Amino acid sequence: MLPSYIAHQDRGLPTMTIVTGEASQVRQPRTTRLDLLRQTWSSRADYLYVLPAIVVMLVVIAYPIYYTVELSLFKTPPGLQLKDKSFIGLNNYTTILMSNVFWRVTLNTVIWTLASTIIAFVLGFALALALHREFFGRGMLRAIFIIPWVISAVAASYIWKWIYHSDFGIIGVVLVQLGLVDRPPNFIDSVSTVLASLIVVNIWREFPFAMIMMMAGLQTVPEQLLRAAQVDGASAWQRFWHVTFPHLRGVSTVTVLLLAVANFNSFIIPWIMTGGGPSNASHIWITHIYELAFGRQRWGVASAYSVLLFVILMTLGYFYVRALSQGDQREPGA
Amino acid sequence: MAHVILKDLVKTYGPVYAVRDVSLTVNDGEFVALVGPSGCGKTTTLNLVAGLIPITSGDITIGERVVNDLDPKDRDIAMVFQNYALYPNKTVYNNVAFPLQMRRMSSSMIDQKVRDAARMLDISHLLERRPRELSGGQQQRVALGRALVRDPAVFLMDEPLSNLDAKLRVQMRSEIKRFHQDFDATIIYVTHDQLEAVTMADKMAVMNGGYLQQYDTPAQVFANPVNLFVASFVGSPAMSLIPLEVTTAGGRTILTSAEKWTIELSDQNARKVQGATSRKVVLGARHSAIRLHKSQVAGSVPAKVYTVEPTGDVTFVQVFLSGTVVNISLPPTFDVEPDEQIWLAFDQNRMHLFDGETELALQA
Amino acid sequence: MNAKSGVSTLRRRRMDGWRWGGRIFLLFMLIYTAVPMVWMLLTSIKSGFAAMAFPPEWWPSEPTLASYRNLLDPENSVGRDFLRFFWNSLVVSTLTTILAVLVAVPAAYAFSRFRFPGRRFLFFSVLLRNMFPAVIFLVPLFILMRFLGLVNTHGSLVLTYLTFGLPLAIWLLKGFYDNIPVQLEQAARIDGATRLQAFVLIVMPLSVPGIIATAIYSFIGAWNEYIYAYTFLSKNEQLTLPVGVQRFFSENTTDFPGLMAASFMMSVPVVVLFLVLQKYFVRALTEGAVKH
Repeated sequence: MLPSYIAHQDRGLPTMTIVTGEASQVRQPRTTRLDLLRQTWSSRADYLYVLPAIVVMLVVIAYPIYYTVELSLFKTPPGLQLKDKSFIGLNNYTTILMSNVFWRVTLNTVIWTLASTIIAFVLGFALALALHREFFGRGMLRAIFIIPWVISAVAASYIWKWIYHSDFGIIGVVLVQLGLVDRPPNFIDSVSTVLASLIVVNIWREFPFAMIMMMAGLQTVPEQLLRAAQVDGASAWQRFWHVTFPHLRGVSTVTVLLLAVANFNSFIIPWIMTGGGPSNASHIWITHIYELAFGRQRWGVASAYSVLLFVILMTLGYFYVRALSQGDQREPGA
Repeated sequence: MAHVILKDLVKTYGPVYAVRDVSLTVNDGEFVALVGPSGCGKTTTLNLVAGLIPITSGDITIGERVVNDLDPKDRDIAMVFQNYALYPNKTVYNNVAFPLQMRRMSSSMIDQKVRDAARMLDISHLLERRPRELSGGQQQRVALGRALVRDPAVFLMDEPLSNLDAKLRVQMRSEIKRFHQDFDATIIYVTHDQLEAVTMADKMAVMNGGYLQQYDTPAQVFANPVNLFVASFVGSPAMSLIPLEVTTAGGRTILTSAEKWTIELSDQNARKVQGATSRKVVLGARHSAIRLHKSQVAGSVPAKVYTVEPTGDVTFVQVFLSGTVVNISLPPTFDVEPDEQIWLAFDQNRMHLFDGETELALQA
Repeated sequence: MNAKSGVSTLRRRRMDGWRWGGRIFLLFMLIYTAVPMVWMLLTSIKSGFAAMAFPPEWWPSEPTLASYRNLLDPENSVGRDFLRFFWNSLVVSTLTTILAVLVAVPAAYAFSRFRFPGRRFLFFSVLLRNMFPAVIFLVPLFILMRFLGLVNTHGSLVLTYLTFGLPLAIWLLKGFYDNIPVQLEQAARIDGATRLQAFVLIVMPLSVPGIIATAIYSFIGAWNEYIYAYTFLSKNEQLTLPVGVQRFFSENTTDFPGLMAASFMMSVPVVVLFLVLQKYFVRALTEGAVKH
C-alpha cells in the first residue's frame, strides 16, 4: 500500500493535493512491558555513564530525604541517640505551625528571597547591558564586578560586618562626618534595619552571577534582528524591548530561578553576621532550622521544618526543572 | 571496492517506521543516489549501512560479509557528511590522517598517503590549516580526502553538496562524478535534489515515507515513473498532474475535468485507463509534452496564463488549468502575457496516466 | 532640512541621556562593589590600634604587614593553624573538583547523546538536587557520616560537595555536548574509532572549555563551603578555611586587621583562579546553558 502524499508543484504557489481514499496504514508495534525491559536491557551500556552520578546522588540525597521524613515523626533525645526516639505522629508539625516564631521567620524568608532575587537580577542585567558595548576599561570593570561572587560568603560576611560596625564602621562614620546623623547607626544590631542590611550584603554577592548569565545571553542575540529593527525605525529602547528582551526570556527565567533557589537556601550571611538576631529579626528558614537542630538539638521539629521546606521547594522545583531542561527535547547534536 | 546488498531493511523508532522493507543491490563500482524529500528515510538508510544506528530487521551485505552487527569501524566504509564533520581541533593534515592513525598505520605510510590524497584533491597548500579557516569548497575537499585516503570498499555520501553555493555545487558535482569514474568507486549518495541524482548517478533509488518507490537508471525513472510520487518528484519543472474522470461512450474513452472540458484518449492510452480501479485517473505531462495555442484547436482545453518566466534558452510558463498549475516550456520567441486566455494540447504519446486510487502508473 | 536636523539632535540628546545614565550607574556599582574590598585591604595593613581610631584613618599612616606575617608564620600557633586550614581547603577542593569532573563528564555526555528509558526522570532528579539547601540534609547526613565513620574526615566533605556541585556541572556540560554535532563522532566511528575513542579523541578536546568551567565551579563551591564543614568537622587540625577562620576570630573579636587579612588570603586563590579562567566560564555559559 502506498502512502498518500502531497505533490508539490515545483515552483507555482498554488499546490495540488492528491489524497487517495486509502491512507497509509502505519503498522503500530505495541509497546509492552517486555519491550520496555528489552529496550532497557539493550541500552544497558548507556547507564554505565550515568551510574556514578546516580550512586552519589542516591547515597547523599535519597537516603537523607527518607531519613528526614522519618525523624520528623519522632521525638529524638538531644544527643541524637536514635535508639531512644519515640513516635509522636504529627506533633512536631503542629508545634511549628502554632509558634509565633514560625510566622516571623516565614515573613523574613519571603522578604529576603524576593528582595535579593529581584534587585540582584535587575542590577546584574543592567550591568550586562552597560558592559555590552566595547569601551576602554571594560574588561577591567567586568573583572572587578565578578569578584564578590567568587569570594567566600564567610569572607564577605566579615568584611561587611566590619563595614557595618557600630563604632568604627565606615558607612556610619561617613554618615556622621557628612552631618546626616549624630551617632553611627546600628545597622545589624537593630531590629528595624538588620534584614535590609543583610539583604544589601547578599545582593553584593549575587548580582555578579546575574551579570555573567545575562552577558552570556546577550552574546546570543542575533545581530541581524537588531539591525532589522533599526532599519524598521526602532529606537534603542524599542530594540531592547522588542528584540533583546524577548530573546533573553529563557536565560532570564533560569537566572531568576537559580537566584531564588540560592537565596531561599542561603545560610552563611545571616548565620555569621547576626546568627538570626536580634530577637529573630534576621532569622530565615534555613538558619532557624539549623539553630533548632544543632543549637537546641530539637531534631524532630527541625526535621519537620525540613520536610515543609522540601514540599515548598518541590513546587518551585517544577518550574526550575522545566526551565533548566528546556531545549532537551532536541535530538542529540541537532 | 565491493557491492552492497540491502535485503528487507527495516528501521523503527518506537511505533514510527523510518525505513520499511527496503531491498536493493548496489553493484561493484556503481554510483547510486538515494533521493527523496526530507524525512523519507534516505539518510536513515545510509546510517544503517554505515552502522551508525542499529537495524531493526533485515540484512546488509557489503562485499561478501553480512555486516548487520559490525561496528562502523569494521565495515570498511568511508562517509562524507552534509556539514563535512571535520574535526575542528585538528589540522587538515590530521583530519585526513585520522582514519589511518586509527588503523595504526606507520607514520611514514600515513604521511605519504595523506600527501597523495592532498595532491589529488588540490589541498596540499591547506594541510596545516584548521577547518574553520577554509572555505566551504575546501572543507568539502578535505572531507573527500579523509574518505578516500583509506581506500574503502564503499563511499557513503550524505548530501555532501547541499551546504555549498550554487556555482560551487555545479563544480563539485562534476568533481565527484570524475572521482567516481577515476576510482571505480562504489558510491551511495543521499540527496534531496533530484537534479543531482539524475546528473550524477548510474542508478537512482527514489524513496518516500520509508518505502523504496523506484530503483532504476535516471533515464528510466524519468521516462517511466512507477507512481504519482516519483512522477511529481523527478524532473524540473515538475510534471504537471491533473485529476480527471474517465468515461467510455461508443468506443471512445474520454477524460473529463471538474469544469467539464474533455480530452479524448488515443487507443493505447485508452487501453491503459481500462486497468484503473475506479473512474478517477490522474493525467501527467512534462512541460515539453504540452503545446500552447493562442486559439482553440481540435483536442485542446482552455486555460489561463499565470506567470511567464524567461530563462534565456527556454521560457517557462505556468498555466491555471482546473485549479491546478501546469508547467509548460516554450521557445523564447513565443509571446504570451499573464492572464491571457490560451488553449493547451497534450501529446498523447508522451502522456502519463495514473490510477487515482492506488496512485500507480497505468500500463497498457 | 531643518526638521531633519532637529530630529537627529533630539535623538542624539536622548542617546546621550542613555549613555550618561549608564556611566552614572556603572560608577555607583563600582563604588558598591569595590569599597568593601578596598576597605578590607586597607584595614588589613593597619595595626589593631589604628583600625580602632576615631575618626578613622582613611589611609593607614603606618601601614604594616604584621597581620599577614602573623598568618603566614609557621613558627607561631596562629600561622600554623591558618596554614593548615589553607592546606585542608586546598586538598578538599582539589579532590572534589577532580571527582566532580570524572563523574559529571560521562553523565552529561550520556544525557546529551543517549536515549535510554528513564533518561528524563534521571536528568530531572539530578537537576532537582540543586533545589535543596544543605540544611535539609544536614541531620541525616550527619548520621550517615557517623555510620560510615567519616565524621571529622575530609572524605565526608568531598562526598557531600560532590553532590551539590554535580547538578549544575552536569547541566552545563550537557548543554555543551548538545552543541557538538553528533556527526563528528559518527565520522570518527566510521574512520575506525570505537565509541570510547570517538569520545576521548574527538569530543573531549572540544568540550575542554566546558570541563574547565565545571572544574572552576566545583572548586570555588568547595573552597567556599561552610555549613557542612562547620557541622562535620570538630577537630582543629581538620578544619577548612571558612570554618577555621570563623573559629579563630570568634575567640578574638577585636582583631579586625587580622580578620581582614585572613578574609583576603582566603579569597585570593579563588579570585585569581576565576579571573584567569573566566573566559572559559562565560563561553561555557554561552554555548552550554544559554543557547537553546
